Amino acid sequence: MDDAITGPGSSDGATRPPLGAAVSMRGIVKSFGPTVANDHVDFDLEAGEIHALLGENGAGKTTLMSILFGLLQPDEGEIILQGESVTLSSPRAALERRVGMVHQHFMLIPDFTVAENVVFGTRSIRKVAFNRPEVEREVAEVSDRYGMRLDPSATVGDLSIDVQQRVEILKLLYRGAETLILDEPTAVLGPAETSHLFETLRELRGRGHSVVIITHKLGEVMQIADRVTVLRAGKLATVAERGSFDEHKLAVAMIGHDLPPLPEGHGTTRSDDPVLKVHDLSIPSDRERRSVDDVSFEIHGGEILGLVGVEGNGQVELVQALAGVRHPSSGSIKVDGRELAGKRPAHFYDAGVAVVTEDRVRWDMIGDLTVADNLALSGVRVGRYSRMGILSRRRIQRDAQRLLEEYDVRPPNPKLRASSLSGGNQQKLVMARELSRNPRVLIASQPTRGLDVGAADFVFRQLTKLRDNGCAVLLNATDLEEVMGLADRVIVFYRGRIALASPTSELSVSQVAAAMTGAGANTGQTAA
Amino acid sequence: MKRLKAGNAEVSVGSVTDALTGGGDSWIRGFLSGVLALIIAVVVTGLVMLALGADPIEAYDGMINGAVGTRPAFAQTLLVTAPLILTGLAAAIPFSARIFNVGGEGQLVAGAVGATAMAFWFSSLTAPALVVLAIAAGIVAGAIWGLIAGALRAFFQANEVIVTLMLNFIALLLADYAINSSWADPVSPQTRPLPAGVDLPIVWSDTLVNLGIVLAVIAAIVGFFLMRRTPLGFGITATGYNPAAARIKGYEIGVVTLAVFAIGGAFAGLAGAIEVLGKHHALVPSMSASYGYTGIAVALVARLNPLWIIPSAFFFAAINAGSNTLQATAGVSTASSLVVQAVFVLSLLALRVIRISYPEVR
Repeated sequence: MDDAITGPGSSDGATRPPLGAAVSMRGIVKSFGPTVANDHVDFDLEAGEIHALLGENGAGKTTLMSILFGLLQPDEGEIILQGESVTLSSPRAALERRVGMVHQHFMLIPDFTVAENVVFGTRSIRKVAFNRPEVEREVAEVSDRYGMRLDPSATVGDLSIDVQQRVEILKLLYRGAETLILDEPTAVLGPAETSHLFETLRELRGRGHSVVIITHKLGEVMQIADRVTVLRAGKLATVAERGSFDEHKLAVAMIGHDLPPLPEGHGTTRSDDPVLKVHDLSIPSDRERRSVDDVSFEIHGGEILGLVGVEGNGQVELVQALAGVRHPSSGSIKVDGRELAGKRPAHFYDAGVAVVTEDRVRWDMIGDLTVADNLALSGVRVGRYSRMGILSRRRIQRDAQRLLEEYDVRPPNPKLRASSLSGGNQQKLVMARELSRNPRVLIASQPTRGLDVGAADFVFRQLTKLRDNGCAVLLNATDLEEVMGLADRVIVFYRGRIALASPTSELSVSQVAAAMTGAGANTGQTAA
Repeated sequence: MKRLKAGNAEVSVGSVTDALTGGGDSWIRGFLSGVLALIIAVVVTGLVMLALGADPIEAYDGMINGAVGTRPAFAQTLLVTAPLILTGLAAAIPFSARIFNVGGEGQLVAGAVGATAMAFWFSSLTAPALVVLAIAAGIVAGAIWGLIAGALRAFFQANEVIVTLMLNFIALLLADYAINSSWADPVSPQTRPLPAGVDLPIVWSDTLVNLGIVLAVIAAIVGFFLMRRTPLGFGITATGYNPAAARIKGYEIGVVTLAVFAIGGAFAGLAGAIEVLGKHHALVPSMSASYGYTGIAVALVARLNPLWIIPSAFFFAAINAGSNTLQATAGVSTASSLVVQAVFVLSLLALRVIRISYPEVR
């Protein structure tokens, strides 16, 4: 096989034990035009540690790691790897120094197998094609060594997102990476997948690798990090060892001030009649089994109903049906007594249903339109901005300016293309449009995905405010603690059915987690 | 957008959508890519001429003179500009919703037949009334021809490229049928001339330039207003950029499809009426000199912006008019103007899709 190796990080990197990949970054400065993304930042990573890099959206975490990974060049500062000052001119150069990064958006070729993706670029395609069993055996060997349990012959496009993530990690290990940087690795994962990922990371640590996870989730830092570096507005805020930090301290370090506690007490203004009434709803799916199967639940005004479940158990289909873009095969959806099942999205809108889906790029915003046009998307259709059939661009701009300030979307420029905003700000943009309508029903799917603590806190407050104003809220999220902290009641989806339905006050996180995997005792079909 | 790294610079390869609209490039950049594409087209065609033994300088000189050098040449260019503005709009507005109307040709012919029909059926009316009626009929006939494709797309998910292309042939055959009907001229292969006075007034004395160019420019302004200042135009743009998001916010894809075909067809139909009333004064067999197809290129070069379609159409008309003198002055086939056009459009699309830049601010 030795003649076949052409790429960086020859496969012997995977066989010999890591050297102890200490990294030290000193006084890193990086600016983009007038924005200083990193302002004299120091960062130290020891061999065999899991290090969390924590900060709000735009605090400069990804920039710092992109410098370490060779994607960006620092304006000032020094990078020391294993005691040697280095210049990392490209990701390839970084990988030669055994530093690799898993990006938020995976860089895999869906039509290739796991083995092909892993070895891709390290040797010629022809050699892979003719030595398939050998290559697959080799990849399986590396995978098993780290307890990753990957089938090398599986096609990557058929794998679930968490398995794809493992393929990305394996790719780096195969190329000999000893320092692994993971950018928001849990953003796409559910609770079970997250704990599986953490197991893998601990396994890596045990073998002397060092891992950096870029995150803005405090819970994760508490769970896994040996050490944490907190960045705030491009500057180093604090560095702390395990044992010397707690969630509260980290939150303060991250946002620079204390967050007042969320208002206590769940809905007190619950209406007598349900606002949203879903009865015996079934939704067909592309596969043989129904994606939502005979589900009934109600949400009263002034109430937040939490919808949880492992991804792919019918939540997405339910949300789409409640938005009017997916037609149920049977059953009814009533809002204030009006039957909406099978109606068009415009009817749902007119009935007062606001929707935030889990896939904002696809469903919630139009990246090529301006921020202002995105905020006016529904308003234009219902004629809010036109007089005698003529649109007032000025009024669209003015309303947008007000919403951008109110919802703290940065930068607050209504003329920018929506796609140029960061993920967190895009989410705020979508929330601003849907919440400012004062809806009767809000269907919110992953409303805090990609948001940092401060912004997520803002969304929580808006949700509770809406609830207190008598809105019926369906909150679909993967973060159990988040859902259980906000929801008055919770329903758990398992294989398109309600596996558990109960007031939050009578539930524990472990009960819910059990029901999500189909192990719940209560398999009732309906929720009161 | 796919990205490739090469040192510090980055080469990005955009989608077809980026090619159509310029991918959000600034106007400066769009303009520069146009100039660069033109230089490439001129050089490449020049090399072709050299290879064929002709003098490219002389040929281009003849082309420019033939396009704008003299009063009759300039008039000829303006005469061709009018239908190209309209067929450009007929392509651009559906393209804005990412619906590909390659049926401008057929819609133009349908408009010409509609306008001619009015002139013969209601020949007892006064000439001015007849002109207005014929223009209206041209617009309506074009819109109906577009709506056939729109309905097939909206209700049966038929591929609009195939449908509009087929409808082009049907429209041409329909025109042939009309020419050979009771309207037929006894001596030449066309219909009898329209009743006396049923024509568009000349707006530039001693030339054939008629009201058609004025109507076309007004149409472009109307098109711009429609796209930028009406809820319908907003919905068309939104649907084009992201149909899923537009749909969940209540815009009906089917309605947008019907609307863009009706509007696009109406513009092309107006072009047909202008050709009949302003130029031929009869229905003739080769009504459209491929205006429908050239209109697609006009729309792409203008990045679907209705106002930029005016200069874009003028540019294509100039190449078209200038090529007529090529044969006489430089002994080069008029087809070389097609080479200029084709190389220009292809280079422009390539320049818009592939561009080199430095890493973006994150």
